[in-house]
Amino acid sequence: MNAFGTAIRPRTDAARPSKIAEGELLDRVSAKDVHAFEELYRIYQPRLARFLINLVQRPQLVEEVLDDTMMAVWQTASSFRGASKPSTWIFAIAYRKAVKARARWPMPVEDPQDDMRVSDDAAPDEGLQQQRLHDALRAAMDRLSPDHRAVVDLTYFHDLGYREIAEIMSCPVDTVKTRMFHARRRLKEAMAGGFEDWL
Amino acid sequence: MAAPIRPLDDAHEQAEELLPWYATGQLNDSDRALVERHLTACAECQKQLRFEQRMIEEFQGFAPEVDSGWARLRARIEPGQRWQPARPGVMRGAWDLLRRPAVATLAAAQLAVVVLAGGAFLSLSKPEYRALSSSTPPAAGNVIVIFRSDATQEDVLDTLRASGASLVGGPTSADAYLLRVPANRRAAAVARLQADDDVQMAQPIDEAPR
Repeated sequence: MNAFGTAIRPRTDAARPSKIAEGELLDRVSAKDVHAFEELYRIYQPRLARFLINLVQRPQLVEEVLDDTMMAVWQTASSFRGASKPSTWIFAIAYRKAVKARARWPMPVEDPQDDMRVSDDAAPDEGLQQQRLHDALRAAMDRLSPDHRAVVDLTYFHDLGYREIAEIMSCPVDTVKTRMFHARRRLKEAMAGGFEDWL
Repeated sequence: MAAPIRPLDDAHEQAEELLPWYATGQLNDSDRALVERHLTACAECQKQLRFEQRMIEEFQGFAPEVDSGWARLRARIEPGQRWQPARPGVMRGAWDLLRRPAVATLAAAQLAVVVLAGGAFLSLSKPEYRALSSSTPPAAGNVIVIFRSDATQEDVLDTLRASGASLVGGPTSADAYLLRVPANRRAAAVARLQADDDVQMAQPIDEAPR
């Protein structure tokens, strides 16, 4: 808890392996250790699926890009030099493949993949107002561009800093800050006063 | 609807931009100090920080199913396959691709690329370009390219197909490869290669066709 009454998330999430542990996994993957690769896959599959659904929106394309990303990790793990975090390296591969996939396949007008987005499973006692806010947030996210959605999700869910996001998306750090600034403003506007009820 | 929040000054704008990463604990010391200095005097940013915290909570709670995906990928990596040791980068992957029976099912255009690539493999152990030294050289290369180190064989073949290039030699000691593109489409092919995410560098090495 900080002086402003808000909890600041610690830098490392206990549920996620450390950078060192992931680096060791990558070393083993480069030696074609299938067990290490499976461990790495189980760490990254949910994270990449969530990241990619923001970028490509089609479930089948998410599977394809995710598999291609992990195949690239399997085949090129020896090229990872440790200059960046393993997560940055893997997400950057996924981003490049998603951009290519997006160029091949036009995005759908409607997104049938709601179940791969932020879960809206309501607690039994959750009220209609809370549900309305969740729906508003989901709708607002859907109206953002894929790159804006990706920056928002990499920040809020994946706990990545703006420098890492810039490296993943091959763009200047100021672009990341600007995308995040405008995305947050649009999310708040879309929820039109409702978010005050959260605070 | 309330008017969008506008930056009041540089300090406010900088702090507000950084608030999401302050809330997730992803700022370095100097950024964090900047935000905290501003927060002490800005009620708007204090409120915004509570919004950030709530957004973080909202973005949690996503757990897609994993097992079926692993089974699918496990089948792709073919555990019984012998992998080429020690040679990093794209050509090891392309070598694996050439050895797969599935190559026989590729379309004719793809086969053309693979056959040319196969020719290049005969010289993989040589540090020089085969095309520049052979007494009976294949088509001379006119573009030099370096692929990203994490590009796979599929990425390389996609890139070659998209640009209409053929692989005629390499790698050099700097992991560069020599490509051949039709002279009358060289500029477009080089532009396409340079725009490709899997290409680190692409440059023509002959004079522009007239």
